[in-house]
Parts: sequence; C-alpha cells; structure tokens
Amino acid sequence: MKNNIRVERAIKNITQADLADQVGVSRQTINTIESNKYVPSTVLALKIARIFGKPVEEVFILEEED
Amino acid sequence: MIFAYFPVMIAKKIFYHGYMDHGGHITLPDNPSLLDANHIFNVIATLVVMVGLLLVGFSKEKFEDEQIIQLRLDSLQWTMYFTFFLYMLAVIFTNSIDLVHIVGINLWMLLVFFIIRFRWVIFRLNQSLKAEKGIS
Repeated sequence: MKNNIRVERAIKNITQADLADQVGVSRQTINTIESNKYVPSTVLALKIARIFGKPVEEVFILEEED
Repeated sequence: MIFAYFPVMIAKKIFYHGYMDHGGHITLPDNPSLLDANHIFNVIATLVVMVGLLLVGFSKEKFEDEQIIQLRLDSLQWTMYFTFFLYMLAVIFTNSIDLVHIVGINLWMLLVFFIIRFRWVIFRLNQSLKAEKGIS
C-alpha cells in the first residue's frame, strides 16, 4: 500500500507532529506510515483522510501486490 | 471430593510444620510449610520479582497508540517462539532433574525476553524518527 500523506501534508502545510496531534497518535506512528513501514488500522486511515478532507482512496492507494 | 482436596492442601501448606515422633524428634516434611522462615522469604522474593516484571512489561507507555499495541503483541509472539525454542533445547540437553530448574527460570525468562524485545523495538522506532529529522 502506498500513501500520499507527505504530499497532502505539504498542501495543508502541517508537520508530522501537527497531524499526529490531530488524529491522536504518536509522531513515530505518522513517520512510519509515511515511510510505508506501518499499515494503519482502518479507523486511523479514516481519521487521517478526514483531516485532509478527502476520501480514503485518495490518501491510501493499493498496489499491485496487495 | 476434589473440591475438598485444595482447601486441605492449602491448610496443610500453611500450618503443617512437621511432626514429632515418640522420641521427641521433629521430622520436617519434604514440602516445607508456607510460614517457614526460609521458605516465606523465597515465596515473597519470587512474588516481588514477578509482580515487578509484570509492571515493567505491561504498564502503559507514555503515548499508547495502536502501533505500540501492535508492537507489544508482536513481542509477545516472539517471546512464545523463543520460549519454545529454549524449552526444546532444555529437553534435549538436560536430564529430568535439571528440568525443574528450567521451569523455575521460565518463570521470569519469558518476561525478561519480552521486555528486552519490546524496549528494543521502541528504541529502533525512536531512532528512525531521529534519522528522518537528520535528512530533512
């Protein structure tokens, strides 16, 4: 699974720490999601998408091998 | 019948200090009573160590989120593998007398391995964040 969190963050001009605060997780979690080391739960994915005001599919994208 | 067995066993454990024969000799049972000075020390020491390890291993992190929960479960799984591996080695390379000690060690070895593994993963997580900061 890929994600656009880094891009979306740049558009909204917020840091990893800001995003982490808004969805209620640690900065490490946002960081590992961005670098594709951790797959978030559905709840967390929905929360992140809501912060960016976009549907989940636009923030998290399935890849061929998934 | 079996329900009567446990209370009797526990009562015996607490109050039975051995018995006196006709010559006034006191025979100590193989199974020491709970209130025996040496034995109660061992019991308390073991309990303190175990409760301490439980608190260290399973108290909540300062920031407990879903990733931490997953890492904790992951560490528990590795602990299971590790223990089984250790136990297999013990079965192969020890005799049945040593096996009693192996079981004793297993009491705290499980949690010690779990704590080390869990702390190590969290340490790596924090390191990765620092490395990221260094780049950007």
